[in-house]
Formats: sequence, C-alpha cells, structure tokens
Amino acid sequence: MKYHIPRAPVRAQIKTREAYLLTFEAPEIAQEAKPGQFVHIKTAKGSDPLLRRPLSICRALPAEGLVVVWYQAVGRGTALMTELMAWDEVDVVGPLGRGFDTEIAGEKVYLIGGGVGLAPLIFLGQKLAGANEITLFGGAKNAGLLETAQDLSALPAFWATEDGSLGHRGLVTELLKQSLEKEKPARFYSCGPHGMLAEVARLARAQNIPLQVSLESAMACGVGACLGCSCDKGSGREGYLKVCKDGPVFWDTEVNL
Amino acid sequence: MNTSFAKEPDLGVEIAGIKMKNPVMTASGTFGFGELYTDFFPLDQLGAVVVKGVTREARAGNPPPRLVETPSGLLNAIGLENPGVDKVIAEYLPPLAGCGAPVIVNIAGNTAEDYCYVAEKLSECPVVSGLEINISCPNVKAGGLAFGSRADLASDVVRQIRAATALPLIVKLSPNVTDIVEIALAVEEAGADALTLVNTLLGMAIDIKKRKPRLANITGGLSGPAMKPVALRMVWQVSQQVKIPVIGLGGIVTAADALEFIMAGASAVAIGTGQFINPCCCVEVAEGLNAYCLTHGIKRISDLIGVAWKE
Repeated sequence: MKYHIPRAPVRAQIKTREAYLLTFEAPEIAQEAKPGQFVHIKTAKGSDPLLRRPLSICRALPAEGLVVVWYQAVGRGTALMTELMAWDEVDVVGPLGRGFDTEIAGEKVYLIGGGVGLAPLIFLGQKLAGANEITLFGGAKNAGLLETAQDLSALPAFWATEDGSLGHRGLVTELLKQSLEKEKPARFYSCGPHGMLAEVARLARAQNIPLQVSLESAMACGVGACLGCSCDKGSGREGYLKVCKDGPVFWDTEVNL
Repeated sequence: MNTSFAKEPDLGVEIAGIKMKNPVMTASGTFGFGELYTDFFPLDQLGAVVVKGVTREARAGNPPPRLVETPSGLLNAIGLENPGVDKVIAEYLPPLAGCGAPVIVNIAGNTAEDYCYVAEKLSECPVVSGLEINISCPNVKAGGLAFGSRADLASDVVRQIRAATALPLIVKLSPNVTDIVEIALAVEEAGADALTLVNTLLGMAIDIKKRKPRLANITGGLSGPAMKPVALRMVWQVSQQVKIPVIGLGGIVTAADALEFIMAGASAVAIGTGQFINPCCCVEVAEGLNAYCLTHGIKRISDLIGVAWKE
C-alpha cells in the first residue's frame, strides 16, 4: 500500500558532515517499508521546484512510527529540504518501488555502497543481519559520509576513501576485490555511483555471484504513471524498465550496468 | 447563507454525451490505465478516466533521459510508449469495467488508417465510453502532430475516424500552432464531439556543463503551472467560437486553477502533471469545486462555464 502523508511531522533534522539525516513521523510508511524502497518528498511549498524528490529509506522504526532518510544537498530541491526543522511538516508519499529481495538466510552476504548510496544498505543490513553473515563495504570521497554510516550501522565493515582520511586510500571496489580472493559470498547488494556499480557488476559476474543494485533516476510521479524514469534493459533487449516501479532495485541481469 | 442547510451543488457535466459526476478528468499519459493510483483514491471519484495514448503497434518510447524539471514546469519526451491496442484491449482495459467512472481511451497513430484501425478495435470494447484523438503529440515524428498542425489534415483524419466508429470523439489539440481557433473549427466541422485543449508546449533545455540538450529527444513537451496562462488563453479563444464542449488542461493543480478554466469556457478539466505532484490532486480539485459552489451559492457547476466571457 502507498500512502500520501501531506503533513508528516518532522522529528529531527541533523546536519552531519557532508549530508543530512531527516527523521519524520509516518507510521504507515514505517510499518510497511521494505529495504530498498523510497519515499517521494515535496521540497517546496509552491510549484518551484515542481517535482518531488525520491530518497531511499535509510531506517524505518515501526514501533516509533518514524522514517529516516539520509541525503546530500545536491540541487535546489534537496537544498530546500535542509531547512526543515523539528515540528515542521513535510509532504511525503511512500513507500514506493520494489525493494531488495530479502529471502535469504544462513548465507555470507556483501553490501557495497558508495556515498549516500549506503542509505538503503543500512536498512537492508538491519533486516538481514540476524539470519546472515554480513559484511559492509563503504566508499566515499572522504571520511565525512562514512563516519555517519559508522554511527548508523553496527555491521562488520571495510571502509575506503579517495583521500585516505578513513580506511583504505582508494576505491571501495579494490577492497571488495581483495576480499573475493579469500572467500566467495552468496550474494551482493549494491547502491552508489554508476562507475562503482559497473565495477561491482563486473566482479560479481566474474564469479557468478548474484547481485542486486539500487538505481537512481530523476522521476516525476514515482508510481509508474509518467514513464519518465526509464532505464535500458541491456543486452540489446528492446524496451525500457521504470526505475520507480520496476525498481529502484534490480537484479544486475535485468539492467544495463 | 448558512451552508449547513445548503443543498449539495450539482457538479455533473456532460461531454460528448458522456455523463460525468464531476468535471475532473485525468489527462492522458499521466494516469497509466487507471491501476496506479488506486491506493490514493477510488476511480469512482473521478469525472472520467482518460488512459494512456494507445497506438496500433506496441511502442518502446524514446531513449532516456525523458524528463527535465523546469521552473514550475516539466519537460517530457516519453514518445508514446504503450503496449499496443491488442494488448491494451486484452489486459489493460478489462480491469476498468465497473470502475464507476467513464473510461476514455486516447489514441494516436502514424496514418489516418492507423487511427481508424485502433478506433474500430476499441469500438468493440463495452468498457470504452469515448475516444480522445491525439493529433498533438510533440515527441514522436509519427505522433499525429503532422495532422494537428494543419486544419485541412486535422479535418481529414477526424472525418475518417468519425466514419470508422460510433463512439464519442474528443479531439486533443496542440498549442504549437499559429491559429488554434482555425483548427478547432475544422475538426468540429469534421465531426468532433468535443475538444481537449491543450497538449504540451514544445520546449527544450540545455545542460551547460555538457553543452548538449538535456533530453535525448532534444525537444519535449512542457506541462505544469508554467504553461497554464497559455492553455487558459486558448480555452478562452476556442470556447467562444465552437459549439462543442471544451475540456481544459494545462497546469491545473488546485480547484482555483480548474475554476479559471471553467470560467474561461471549459466544460470539464483534466489534470496531468498536478497528479504527479499530489497523488490525490484530482479528488482534491473536485472537492474544492464543491466547496466553491457551496460558498458562493452556485447550484450547478455548469452555470460557471464561460462566465468570464458570457457576462
């Protein structure tokens, strides 16, 4: 079920290094959200910017009725969102999209995220943790974003930064490659920049490891009506998938990475 | 006036013989086949459901990127992506039976023969109450705009479709023309039962970092509040010249917007981009029309049609 909550009370907005953590009250969404699903947030009171912004759910707390998103101010819409404070109200639609496949137990699983692409993986990690052996691989330009990820997730993790300010200096996929020399996990889940996803997909295919990725796209409706957020099916197959409705989570075999 | 004793206003309108309980319709291409917004409101709250544009053959649509947000507006170049008429009839229309609102199917094509083929096929579906003829898609070479930008060609294609089906015909016009009144009069004369005014405005956006157009299709159709004054002006001009009803659309997001269109001469309104921003937009606009009528002692919404030029 999808809900439109035009006046969800904001409980907190915390500015972290490089990003923001927005917590709002939306009991129906908190109850039904699955890892990998997103919320569609109206950022302006008026008509400019016109469209909602799709943001992955980072945490859902059903007992408290709270939903947390972790985002960076990358444009005018998300910049406006940063002004929200406790007891403001935010207009939210969700939970939307197809989440990660969580039908897995007793397996070794890798979660590989870049930047705020770690957000849905933090939610996923919580869901999978009891029943599986999980390792989180997090990469970013610098330590800023990763410090927040460390606060949000207690999973065993490897960290990589481009400037070397936390963990391995270099790319997170280099850490992934090293680990794959020692063991073979049953599944990868990944979210982040396209270049990272492409490399993760290459490594997964080389060892026949099933991979799910969460994709990003500009969207208008978020529910599959406008047909705007189309993505290539890859392998020369005709037609397009819709990131909002068919995804945002796809098996790597379904899309062109 | 004590509104607690006021009689509920009559929001009903009739377009091309199709009775609607209120004047709020969905805009084609923004509501799928009616299946996507049912978590937000039941379809029987709508005046009519206008479904995605259907063509003879299945179409994959344009390559991405297909969308660009612009100030108070949205540029799209979807490219008439649809499953084709046979699949639409077999899979997408049957669930709409008994939905509580009339179903209007938008059709597009490359040739007059394509339009007639699709119209004939849809005429055999009892769930279909009417056809909206798209001769105004700006985003595909063969999307009908070739017909919609010349009065003689528009008239010819409408006349052929008129001969091919007994269903009510609503013709959706393009704003990307020099004289929309001329085209409106031509399609009225050719047998159109109603007009939808207007499709999107042709536009574009450029990425200054890449120094290239933002849309893969280069140009797209502008919708949303940014285009409302243009659409309103066209409804004003056309509704004073034709005898058939006009459905107004273009940037409607509130009941006040809808009232402007009705006062400009629209007998009904359609909502597209507004529904993307607010998934309950159509029902909130209908409720807002009801509230306006109550507050202002309007017994029938139809009394407001064209009042801005009638009085």
